[in-house]
Amino acid sequence: MAAYVLRRLVSAIAVMAMVGIFVFLFLRLAPGDPAGVIAGDKATPEMIAAIREQLGLDKPMPVQFVNWAVSILSGDFGNSLFSGRPVIELISQRLEPTASLAILTIIVSVTVGVSVGILAAWRTGGLIDRILTAFATLGYSVPVFVIGFFLIYVFAISTHWLPVQGYAPIGGGLGPWFLHLILPTLALSLGYMAFIARVTRASMLEVLSEDYIRTAAAKGASSYAMLFHHALKNAGVPILTVIGISFAYMISGVVITETVFNIPGIGRLVVAALNNRDYAIIQGVLIFVSGLYVLINLTVDLAYTLVDPRVRY
Amino acid sequence: MIISRRDLVKIGIAAGTALSIPSVLRAQQAPIAGKAIRMARYSFDTFDPMVSTATATGNHGLAIYDTLFALDSKLMPRPQMVGKWGVSDDKRTYTFELRDGLGWHDGTPVTAADCVASLRRWGQVAPGGGLILERAKDISAQDDKTFTISLKEPLGLLTEILASASTPVLFIMREKDAKLASTEQVTANIGSGPFKFNQDLAKPGASFTYDRNEKYVARQEQPDGFAGGKLANVERVIWDFIDDKQTAFAALQAGEIDFIELPAADLYPAFNSDPDLALQVLNKGGDVYFLRMNCLKKPFDNVKARQAMLHLIDQEAVMRTTFPAENISAITSFFGNHTPYASDENTGWYRKGGNPEKAKQLLNEAGYAGETIVILQHASWPEANTMEQFLADTLRKIGLNVELVLSDQAAFAARRKSRDWSIFMTSESDYDRSTPVSNPTLAANGEQGWWGWPKSDEYEALRAKWAEVETLDERRALAREMQRIQWDIAGTVLLGSAVSPIARRKTLVDLIEMPALIPMWNMRKVPA
Repeated sequence: MAAYVLRRLVSAIAVMAMVGIFVFLFLRLAPGDPAGVIAGDKATPEMIAAIREQLGLDKPMPVQFVNWAVSILSGDFGNSLFSGRPVIELISQRLEPTASLAILTIIVSVTVGVSVGILAAWRTGGLIDRILTAFATLGYSVPVFVIGFFLIYVFAISTHWLPVQGYAPIGGGLGPWFLHLILPTLALSLGYMAFIARVTRASMLEVLSEDYIRTAAAKGASSYAMLFHHALKNAGVPILTVIGISFAYMISGVVITETVFNIPGIGRLVVAALNNRDYAIIQGVLIFVSGLYVLINLTVDLAYTLVDPRVRY
Repeated sequence: MIISRRDLVKIGIAAGTALSIPSVLRAQQAPIAGKAIRMARYSFDTFDPMVSTATATGNHGLAIYDTLFALDSKLMPRPQMVGKWGVSDDKRTYTFELRDGLGWHDGTPVTAADCVASLRRWGQVAPGGGLILERAKDISAQDDKTFTISLKEPLGLLTEILASASTPVLFIMREKDAKLASTEQVTANIGSGPFKFNQDLAKPGASFTYDRNEKYVARQEQPDGFAGGKLANVERVIWDFIDDKQTAFAALQAGEIDFIELPAADLYPAFNSDPDLALQVLNKGGDVYFLRMNCLKKPFDNVKARQAMLHLIDQEAVMRTTFPAENISAITSFFGNHTPYASDENTGWYRKGGNPEKAKQLLNEAGYAGETIVILQHASWPEANTMEQFLADTLRKIGLNVELVLSDQAAFAARRKSRDWSIFMTSESDYDRSTPVSNPTLAANGEQGWWGWPKSDEYEALRAKWAEVETLDERRALAREMQRIQWDIAGTVLLGSAVSPIARRKTLVDLIEMPALIPMWNMRKVPA
């Protein structure tokens, strides 16, 4: 196991190096001029050229790449071309809101999604299954911004129960933190809930049709024991995979939710940086997120051994 | 060790308490109840108002820095940081003495050396400042509070230029900041204005926090435009950068914010129907929307093709794609509708509804041979995006071969720099069009100038005279002549004028109504 983990970590470094090279190249090849954005609309071409020189953007691309790579290897992600602030500081400012939203969403999605999936599989073809399948289809189909504005209207504007927007840091107290995350979590969860519920249902249905389940039933095992002791454990691998993918996707894919609820997270940071071509931020965030993906994948792979004893590394 | 259920509850309570304690310790992070104002503003990431000409950066500058002179509500320059000032009999030497009590947010006093360094740096980026540097024989500090500008020849507009509210504005910075190259960003954000930038709470792209500068010594006069006493009536102002306009509207309705800088025009009826909210026009002159054509590229290298655009545009139709009818007006004056220089000189090209037949005729005379007209389309400016689509459609209807190139901010900047485009659209405050010395969009200096590069030596000679003449009447006469030339060379085509209100809760009052920038002083919150 230890050797496997070490091998994966070494390959992760190679993956991140490739990510770095591609991100750097694609950003530079995409049309865009950060100096022009910094200077503003009324700037003359001369002013913009002077800013490009100041930022080192006039240097040949290989020189820029080497400078950046050397900085990254020494742990320095550089400074934003616009605000001049360290990229690490900007990422750390944005990490807590995104991580809070992602973790709460995954907790809600897994709890509800897996329960609903099991229930639908258990009562397959029945009324509950049909209702739950319709609910899952709806959750999967309605865009998150529609759900978001609906929730804002009902729970914030009409009833004033919850805040419309913004984020309260966890350091400011659990209450405000939780209240600000209820609506975005619900809006974001619905799609993932539906996704996890559908996969759980399909996986459970497959397992429930196996001979050993029939044998367990013949031996008088209770429904609870059959579903949770025998079926769920064996249906667990695809469910775990889906949860891992969902979580990884969530870290970088929450931009719409962050925009609708005005949450200052990683997603909005990247979108703004892309719009401005703030190379330092984009490169820094992508390296960081790719590292996180590698870590989540590794964790999911290791978790397989817990649900399926046949998996060995 | 066995943990009992009771232990678990105790641990949970202890953990909850521990997590809540920082809220007390970090009280500075929470808005100060009743004394804080939250504003949904335009986002900006570049702090230095000399490096960036963006209006949002200018507003940031207005909050934390102070100015030597400032425009009053009649757009006349008034001393601000300057206490006493005078000009020699030969009108070549200006002496300025700073008023008492001016200090930087770091506690050090403002000196004349700070002003001299700021003036020199500003002169490298602002056309008006450049003119002062060009005319100056010497700019130097005489003592800690006094500095002089000695000119080679008189410059009647000097105080107007120093007070200009067109970006980049002459904000006074510390000497050590102002000695940085004009392209190197000052990020210290230490000013001497009525608000202090709170570095600890700065979240670029999300929110910035400004605290009242309790040591600021305001002028004794009543607030009057950007001039007079700058009274900070609240302890803290927080700028939230809310990307989605619907969310901003909902936040204003719920009382989570007090102000929206640019509410969506299609939501005006919703704002008006809420008894707690108000729309208010701060920039009475409104904004002028215009397009620039690339005078270096076919077909617009031919003046007749550019004149065709003047005749073609139906201003009302273009503006109605985005704004309600009551917010728009046609504009034919090159120097703005609401400035002292507005005139009807050489405006025979204007016809309500446009004149496509005349446009076609002029294009034929220009020898248009089906070249692709590349229109740069803004991806992140919804109002412009709609107008650009409409413009493309208008051009196609008279047989032009049009390509819309959708671009985000950075791609737009790069494409514009490449010169491989035909038309782009932009806007500026009506006030900005009254300042031909300070505003690069009003020049016609060819490839040395602003995007589009129209060229007229005759116009430039008149523009150079603008700073020489002393009376308003003389400048009005110049403006008429300059407008005559501009509508002949047609480097710019006006699309119309619109006033865009801000939205506020009715508990936020006493906002200052001025063009170009939005000050944060004077405003206050009253009980509902």
